[in-house]
Amino acid sequence: MSPHQFDIQLVAIIVAASCAIPGAFLVLRRMSMMTDAISHSILLGIILAFFLVGDLSSPFLIIGAAASGVLAISLIEAVNRARLVKKDASIGIVFPFLFSVAVILLSKYARNVHIDTHSVLLGEIAFAPFNRLILSGMDLGPTSAYVMGSILLLNLLFISFFYKELKVSTFDESFASSIGFRPRLIHYLLMAVVSLTCVGAFDAVGSILVIALIVIPPCCAYLLTDSLFRMILLSVVFGISAAVSGFWVANWLDVNIAGSMAFVCGVFFLAVFLLAPQRGFFGIMREKRRQRMDFAEASLLVSLYNQERGEAVKNHPDSRGMFRSADFASKVVEFLKQKGEIAVAGGKLFLTEKGRERVRTTVEGR
Amino acid sequence: MSGRGENPVAPAIRVTDLTVAYGDKTVLWDIDLEIPRGSMVAVVGPNGAGKTTLIKSIQGLVPRVAGVVSVHGRPYEKQRKEVSYVPQRGSVDWDFPTSVVDTVKMGTYGDLGWIRRPGKKEHEKALGALEKVDMLEFAQRQISQLSGGQQQRVFLARALVQSASVYLLDEPFQGVDATTEKAIVTILKELVAGGKTVLAVHHDLNTVSEYYERIALLNVGLVASGRVDEVFNSENLMKAYGGKTSFFPERKAARRAV
Ligand SMILES: Nc1ncnc2c1ncn2[C@@H]1O[C@H](COP(=O)(O)OP(=O)(O)OP(=O)(O)O)[C@@H](O)[C@H]1O
Ligand SMILES: [Mg+2]
Repeated sequence: MSPHQFDIQLVAIIVAASCAIPGAFLVLRRMSMMTDAISHSILLGIILAFFLVGDLSSPFLIIGAAASGVLAISLIEAVNRARLVKKDASIGIVFPFLFSVAVILLSKYARNVHIDTHSVLLGEIAFAPFNRLILSGMDLGPTSAYVMGSILLLNLLFISFFYKELKVSTFDESFASSIGFRPRLIHYLLMAVVSLTCVGAFDAVGSILVIALIVIPPCCAYLLTDSLFRMILLSVVFGISAAVSGFWVANWLDVNIAGSMAFVCGVFFLAVFLLAPQRGFFGIMREKRRQRMDFAEASLLVSLYNQERGEAVKNHPDSRGMFRSADFASKVVEFLKQKGEIAVAGGKLFLTEKGRERVRTTVEGR
Repeated sequence: MSGRGENPVAPAIRVTDLTVAYGDKTVLWDIDLEIPRGSMVAVVGPNGAGKTTLIKSIQGLVPRVAGVVSVHGRPYEKQRKEVSYVPQRGSVDWDFPTSVVDTVKMGTYGDLGWIRRPGKKEHEKALGALEKVDMLEFAQRQISQLSGGQQQRVFLARALVQSASVYLLDEPFQGVDATTEKAIVTILKELVAGGKTVLAVHHDLNTVSEYYERIALLNVGLVASGRVDEVFNSENLMKAYGGKTSFFPERKAARRAV
């Protein structure tokens, strides 16, 4: 691994971890598309900050960008609270508006400055190693590792201080405010953190990858665990794994790095979606099949049981008319024979003591 | 009873001139209501009458256009810890990744305050409350794997771990079976017997006299409030339900007397 490759992966890992943490809460609050809104709204902040400081490389541009992200979120909230339009529509109203204001300002007052979303928004992770932090002649590594490292630290502090507040206000907002936490405040703190993370990460790796890293790893984690803490942990693990394996896929296929990382995120989600033990597609199918078999076995056993006791039997067990096909019927019989719950004699089915026991315990609940 | 600088003779809740509106729609109009300490009170009224809004606005969860709410003689804002809230079950996302015991533990967050984390003591408290509502065996279960009645019990347990003296419940019996309903009533009556105050939104007119001592009939305005045997009559019900009720408390009382 060259130092160059190392730097790229280092930046990607830090970005992935800092995106996954607030991402988990965004996903649980059904607000993941806020990141998209933020990505379009920050141009306004960048331009206003540029008008103030007159320097395209000033760190104030980042702060302006983060502030306009928060502004976008507050406006979306306000439109939303008026209850005149649906939530997704309020997102769709606000960010094109902010974006268009930015475009108008730009074309009116800054026509001769080269500034657009791409110059600030769309960082390119492949260039991360070239922009280095050099202090008194010493090369300390890629600048974006330091910027994103600070943001990661901030996110970690935020979540470890306010874990329980975030948890309760995400789960039950009115209860949270009834016990004296201020869910609105928590909400805006979270949004400020998201906005800052987005802006920093946009600058480091580009916006599509950021949206992928914020939304997809938490969605994978959500399907795999029942605990919020583990969900956050798993999100970070997924994010980092997607970043690292995406890097090597890009290296191997010689394609765009950010695109490949975002692609691996998607592949991870597909895999989890299909394979998650309980909530995955195959897991649900397997569970359904098992239930169907269980039910079929139980119906056969019960009808044998009733017949044995001379009670009326809706479907005669020997006819096996209760099953959708003769194939399925013989499968059920075969399974039950293997379990020793029925026996066959002279072409007729009989319950064994074990089978009777199962009817009594599972079906009749005794 | 708990006492944090409270007035011993003041009612548990006093609502004065409360008006609440959503947009330009008035939902609660000039409500004056007193809930005596140690009473069990039903809030009754048709759908959209403003029952949920009343419970929420008492706690400042929806902004009041006008009005004052005091708890044990002091403004609600200073008495937050005295009030425990059981929201309508449908108000949260039950797919949230958390276990039953952790959900109940949220009831202790108010006493913990900001930043401090729940520890062993809070865990024990949560388990104790789960035992009370007969849900101990579900402690580690994910909350989405509960039935409606079990979810209601979890919410009740969460309220029980709060060290409150006033309980506000929004339709605690919604969609629960008879056994759970009886269990919840028993717990609420125990609270009242211990000097706590219970205010519950209630829909089933058949059980009002059996469960509650007092009632507040609501339909935007307060139609009547007082002891069940004094104000729970067909005249007031007609007023609250706009003549759309087919329930006559007098007949039921007469039947019972026979
Ligand atoms: N957030 C809101 N925004 C706008 N209107 C609302 C809001 N919440 C409730 N309302 C309206 O206020 C009125 C009172 O609602 P509320 O939920 O308090 O009724 P309720 O008595 O609890 O009814 P239910 O028996 O159906 O639970 C209703 O007409 C409702 O449409
Ligand atoms: Mg209601």
